[in-house]
Amino acid sequence: MQVEQTFNKLGSSSEPLTVSPEVFQQLGSITRVLHDTMQQLGVMPKLQVATDGLPDARSRLTYIANKTAEAANKVLNSVDQAKAEHAHISSATNEMAKAIMADPVKAVASGAVFNFVKDVEKSTAQIDQHLTDIMMAQDFHDLTGQVVAKVVTLANDLEDSLVKLLVQIVPPEQREKVDPTILQGPVVNAEGRTDVVTNQGEVDDLLASLGF
Amino acid sequence: MSTEMKFLVVDDFSTMRRIVRGLLKEIGYNNVEEAEDGVEALNMLKNAKFDFVVSDINMPNMTGFELLKAIKDDPNLKHLPVLMVTAEARKEDIVLAAQTGAAGYIVKPFTKATLEEKVQKIMQKLAAAA
Repeated sequence: MQVEQTFNKLGSSSEPLTVSPEVFQQLGSITRVLHDTMQQLGVMPKLQVATDGLPDARSRLTYIANKTAEAANKVLNSVDQAKAEHAHISSATNEMAKAIMADPVKAVASGAVFNFVKDVEKSTAQIDQHLTDIMMAQDFHDLTGQVVAKVVTLANDLEDSLVKLLVQIVPPEQREKVDPTILQGPVVNAEGRTDVVTNQGEVDDLLASLGF
Repeated sequence: MSTEMKFLVVDDFSTMRRIVRGLLKEIGYNNVEEAEDGVEALNMLKNAKFDFVVSDINMPNMTGFELLKAIKDDPNLKHLPVLMVTAEARKEDIVLAAQTGAAGYIVKPFTKATLEEKVQKIMQKLAAAA
């Protein structure tokens, strides 16, 4: 594989490289791997249906953002509606309890109990539909998960290649300054790190230690 | 504690704004408005009266830290409590937030109980200081 050959070339050299045509060739190889992988994203059979009409890989990443946002909104809308139905049942139950306690015979004879039962039946059916909608809203995960996995693999390959290339071409006196943790962001894996907190309790302890 | 207080939720993700808004509503605070970054938030804060700000940190145009600093540097706004709700878990960010004047700091993911506890704690501090 092209990227493997690039790794081997870089790894076998102990001397720092100057910026030479070879470096540009290696960068070209990496770019080719990136390009090929991005192209593959569009021809994977299972993804093709979902990604038809999308012009490039950037659009596919936008597609992920849109699909997840759409699913989140669908879930939140369904939750809002289910909670409203639930509140309605709760209120109707309280009213029915009062009516039965006041005059059980009248409550039955007037049809209030029957109407209440029908009302609850209707509301629970609607709540069940909202729950089904919430379940169905998770369908984005399959396709977006595949795209994400592919992009993560690509990113890892590229990172490895670029770090090795950087280590080779950086002047010897600057090597110690190349910090592999320079890319900061949300901490996904805090294991072994002392510069981050892992839960709200640690945040509170830290703030308390500072007098806040 | 007054549930008529007006909250401003600042986050570039509409889903997170909606979740925080929903949780505040469940806690009992119904008067909640939203801004999608620090610039919009600052503009809203200067043009209407708010009582509490809940802000993310990583946002385009103006980050949560920049918004926090702008609020604390403004004589008309510096009294506002700002609760940071963010995925940033680095200790230096937490210390910086506290030193800049944040009233509290919550790391994502969080629970309704955590949000409620922090908001109430901040309210109690404000009431005690008044």
